[in-house]
Amino acid sequence: MSVNTPVDPAQFDIEAIDLSDRDFWAEPPAVRHAVFDKLRAERPFAFFDEPTMEGMEPGPGYWAVTRLADLDAISSQPAVFCSGQGAVSIQDIPADLSEFYGSMISMDDPRHARIRRIVAKTFTPRMLEQVIDSVVGIVDDVLAEARAKAEAGDGSLDVVADIAAPIPLRIICDMMGVPEQDRLLVLNASNTILSGGDPELTDEADPLTALLEAGMAMAELMGRLAAERIENPTDDLTTALVNSEVEGEKLTHQEIASFFILLLVAGNETTRTAIAQGLLALSENPEQRAAWMADPSMDKSAVEEIVRYVSPVTWMRRTATQDGEVNGHSFKEGDKFLLFYNAANRDPEAFENPHALDLGRSPNNHVGFGGHGPHFCLGAHLARRELAVTFRRLFEICPDLEITGEPARLRSSFVNGLKRLPARLTGQR
Amino acid sequence: MSRVQVDRERCVGSGVCESLAPEVFEIDDDGVLQVHREEPAADELDGVQDAVQSCPARALALAE
Repeated sequence: MSVNTPVDPAQFDIEAIDLSDRDFWAEPPAVRHAVFDKLRAERPFAFFDEPTMEGMEPGPGYWAVTRLADLDAISSQPAVFCSGQGAVSIQDIPADLSEFYGSMISMDDPRHARIRRIVAKTFTPRMLEQVIDSVVGIVDDVLAEARAKAEAGDGSLDVVADIAAPIPLRIICDMMGVPEQDRLLVLNASNTILSGGDPELTDEADPLTALLEAGMAMAELMGRLAAERIENPTDDLTTALVNSEVEGEKLTHQEIASFFILLLVAGNETTRTAIAQGLLALSENPEQRAAWMADPSMDKSAVEEIVRYVSPVTWMRRTATQDGEVNGHSFKEGDKFLLFYNAANRDPEAFENPHALDLGRSPNNHVGFGGHGPHFCLGAHLARRELAVTFRRLFEICPDLEITGEPARLRSSFVNGLKRLPARLTGQR
Repeated sequence: MSRVQVDRERCVGSGVCESLAPEVFEIDDDGVLQVHREEPAADELDGVQDAVQSCPARALALAE
């Protein structure tokens, strides 16, 4: 059975579904989508116990939100559904640790907005217009290197290591001012931080220590760069961070470090996932790929559809600050909600034929960059640009790219990542 | 005449408005939204309406 053969949601016993079971996240995509179809249709606010974590008391559990309308209702009421108690972990972890790994993702306004404004300008369309040439340059370099490497051997390459990972890594490291020799460290630390406990990327026996060490390595790098930028300011983001003031005070060393980690990790993993999973989706839909390749005017809608279809970030958490009701569902103060973007992005109420890749889809009001609300993806404009340039240049420089085998999927509930995707260049243009 | 209103408490400077109506909206160096024309010209109204509807923070409104 191909991993994409549709799976009938009716075959699942709703009582047996457990989104906290790590093995669920190792299931083929079609199985996961079918389970989410079942939840969305029959139990749109499904309650689950929290996954167990070594050395931590189990928390009270969470509601899994799978309908787009519910997700957006929660996302757009940040005063009722806050992020400050942790947006990127299901368990309540100590506030300082949560802020260290989540930075402003795990903050609420007004502090969130004040911190976000420090870098907001850099990520606006107007500013990104000025870096578009360097994005094209980086993409062309990476593709030329991938092509040379494949042609020097038997034509084979790994889409993740040779194309999808280096493009966003170089772009975000250029923007942050991370020198060449430190970029491997950034890649490895970023992989560990978002490993989701995948045994290949972290120490399974002690994931917390691996996470802390990766964070420390990034904080150390930031400390080094920050010291240099105070001496010699440049126009990179690191300089902006060390010189910025919030409410008349400079950010602390730890605030700068966590901001730095957020920008690097978020800038890497999400776009990498969209490129790798996007290429996989195109190879599974050759007629769509051919249509896009022949028509650059489809770039805009195609990029949106890839973000919807792939949903690189699977969920974010919100926590109720008061008792209340949302779309008919009652909740208590302290209740946790996981917003499943992957499920909302396949909601038949919001998208016609939601499991089909339709690169010309319009309208396409997906939540791949988050729902309405203050935490809407800071890097959305950058990601769109990176993706449009990457796919267009791929069609031109590597039109003969062919996926040759099954991907190695990251076993993570949080990021829909691929670890490897075997491919080859056939040489036939 | 339609007038652009910005809820400053909600705006996080995402720049979505700027991408849709760059002649009316701009995020400044401090990450704060500047509205170049509070009463947009007739040919700018489509873009501004688009921006109002697309604002992820729901911080924009058009008042008659």
